[in-house]
Amino acid sequence: MSDLFANYEHGKFYDEMFASPGKSRPHYRRLYERFGLLENMAELMDRQRTADQTFIDRGVTFTVYSDNAGTEKIFPFDLLPRIIPAHEWAHLERGLVQRMTALNMFLADIYGPQRILKEGIMPREMIETSKNFRPELVGCKIAKDLYVHINGSDMIRDEAGVYSVLEDNLRTPSGVSYVLENRQVMKRVFPTMLRDYRVRPVENYTNDLLNLLLYLAPAHVPEPTVVLLTPGVFNSAYFEHSFLARQMGIEIVEGSDLVVENDKVYMRRTDGLAPVHVIYRRIDDDFLDPTVFRKDSLLGVPGLFEAYRKGNVALCNPIGTGVADDKAVYYYVPKMIKFYLGEDPILPNIETFLSGNENELSHILANLPKLVVKSVNEAGGYGMLVGPHSTQTQIEEFRAKIIANPRNFIAQPTIGLSRCPSVCEGGTIEGRHIDFRPYILNGETIKIMPGGLTRVALRKGSLVVNSSQGGGSKDTWVLNDDVTNPPMPVQEQIIV
Amino acid sequence: MLSRVASLVYWMARQLERAENTARTIDVNAQLVLDLQSRQAADDPKSWEPLVYVTGDQEKFFELYGKVASERAVIEFMIFDKRNPSSIMSCISAARENARCIRDQLSSEVWETLNTFYLKLKSDDYPRYAQLGSAVYLNHVKTQIQLFYGVADSMIPRTDLWWFFDLGRHLERADNTSRILDVKYYMLLPSLHTVGSALDMIQWASVLRSCSAFEAFRRSRRGQLNLERVVDYLLRDAVFPRSILFSIMEAEQALGQITVSVHHMEDNVPARLIRELRAELEMIDVPGVIADGLHEFLDDVQNKISDIHNALLSTFVEYPTGSAKVLG
Repeated sequence: MSDLFANYEHGKFYDEMFASPGKSRPHYRRLYERFGLLENMAELMDRQRTADQTFIDRGVTFTVYSDNAGTEKIFPFDLLPRIIPAHEWAHLERGLVQRMTALNMFLADIYGPQRILKEGIMPREMIETSKNFRPELVGCKIAKDLYVHINGSDMIRDEAGVYSVLEDNLRTPSGVSYVLENRQVMKRVFPTMLRDYRVRPVENYTNDLLNLLLYLAPAHVPEPTVVLLTPGVFNSAYFEHSFLARQMGIEIVEGSDLVVENDKVYMRRTDGLAPVHVIYRRIDDDFLDPTVFRKDSLLGVPGLFEAYRKGNVALCNPIGTGVADDKAVYYYVPKMIKFYLGEDPILPNIETFLSGNENELSHILANLPKLVVKSVNEAGGYGMLVGPHSTQTQIEEFRAKIIANPRNFIAQPTIGLSRCPSVCEGGTIEGRHIDFRPYILNGETIKIMPGGLTRVALRKGSLVVNSSQGGGSKDTWVLNDDVTNPPMPVQEQIIV
Repeated sequence: MLSRVASLVYWMARQLERAENTARTIDVNAQLVLDLQSRQAADDPKSWEPLVYVTGDQEKFFELYGKVASERAVIEFMIFDKRNPSSIMSCISAARENARCIRDQLSSEVWETLNTFYLKLKSDDYPRYAQLGSAVYLNHVKTQIQLFYGVADSMIPRTDLWWFFDLGRHLERADNTSRILDVKYYMLLPSLHTVGSALDMIQWASVLRSCSAFEAFRRSRRGQLNLERVVDYLLRDAVFPRSILFSIMEAEQALGQITVSVHHMEDNVPARLIRELRAELEMIDVPGVIADGLHEFLDDVQNKISDIHNALLSTFVEYPTGSAKVLG
């Protein structure tokens, strides 16, 4: 009888499963006891194959743009779950509710009285130079005063195990369909384990999302029609669009299906034009309405903006939320929480330097090889420099870019993301870096799905978890209570 | 239902039906060539060229393959060539792409049946066709499409999605049957003086077989195989599923289902056009049609089907929004 984790390497990172070599954390003990034996590796690999095949059969895929054939690929799934005990989740939940509340207040303020600028908490220039700020919306009344409905905040745990927010995704955060599909597959592969662990279900998400969308409908409409607006079948997230539409029983539409007449939105049906009241749009602002934003866009709907401004149609997320997920604006979120709520942030930001600030710019330029530099409006792991993993030439290229346009960059120290045991090619279990994206819905109340997308950098040593860069995902188990698993020792609890 | 979705499912049905008919036509021709081997070499261009005319894409063919319609060129063109929008490969890949666009509306089984067929077909080529032999290969193609129809038939709820699918399938089938009849008639004309000969029998039997109608014809008409009787059967038999009249009647019913509960659409242009064509087919005098020129008659039928198609698109899909009915 030998230990499957005998050769498991801990490294200097926070390990989700092990407190120290051979000593699992309490909430992983059951999994460790069940799978800790080397004889179980074959069984584990069998289950991994079953899981992979299930994804292929179900067509759970995304499209890779760089591949000119538009190949559909499977988002690799790792069988070993990430487990979050109840008290830890309660802490995360409080922090995320606080953050969402502040972000919504910030957006309401920016598109309203702009107190935060007038009182000098944030420089006006920061907003006015943001690519995603929509001055057209200042002073415009928004349905239910909700300026952001869905946020997928990216979170990480550092070397000490402290959770912090890496960035917010307030435009069209994706990935939730994988969370739901992962759980479906997990139920087939690990049924008893899920039950024994009392894992909280995630299935309610689409129901909560539909309720949120219906809540946004203009008040006078008794039976509102909700649609999901997709850029089309070639979009990398098309699987998710069609999955969510199917789960909610709503129509999935492309821009060409919608027309605006007299500032009202209709969908073109075989029997005539049917009114549309709420649009869950998965298209960025820029492409929504060619008469207002990008003129060359073929994806959007001419006249949609005016219909929206008049309150005849609700959009989720609203137009202009992107100003709050600008990576430079992110720097100010803790200040927002203090300013609007008078509270200290429960979940910290990563230490961030703005190259737009004179004194921080010199710090950035002096420390490039140690920092991660990000372009403020890029996502998906594009447009970034990971200092410690870059060549001198790459660093110099970025230096020139930063000097040319300081407003466009931020820098953060390289964080050693926490690691979680993962099934690796060749049938070994090794630690791989992970991050976490919970999904926060802001409707009548704020609701957070108990779970989220845990992405895993499957390449050895890699810190990049994006699917477009070779990442995979894990099921995230939020436990119902701590009774079956005793509370964590004090030194492991999160200290804010 | 959404106009775009209606259009996608309608085209998906047409593409699948076209692929199936192409497979049938090639299959029958390949067998006929075997029967005629004593007279003609199997690769005699004259044996294969008429097939190119069935699809109406002869110009494209001669542009791509030159003047000589060898067996291999015709097979490449009709089954595998992606440059030919009517090739089986093009049709199946377009149908699959359409299905992908409306995946949220199709059950997983329906989608997976078409998807797995496409994934297998897409790496096929002429050497594989030649290696398996035409009968085996084409039978596989036909079976897969039939399998899809079977799954669709038992899985798709009878909503507009189904009726647009049904409409596309039957209009395409009516069109295909008229083309098969037209080309075979044209092919066989020179040998009309051999009426009643063994060769004549084989050829008229092949016309029926192209539409899988041979056995049905035998049971229902119990008589000689000759020009008039075969034309009559394929043109206007009221119960044979691949006759033109039957297909038009099915299309008429499908369209009726689409508009049955839509008050402002009781009288629509495509419905009127279909009704007229059905009435005309019911009343024709076959000997008279043959005397006046079957080719002209069939040409006219094809034009009318095309008018119905255009009327469908402009009524349900591409209508001007300014004058459209606003619902609810």
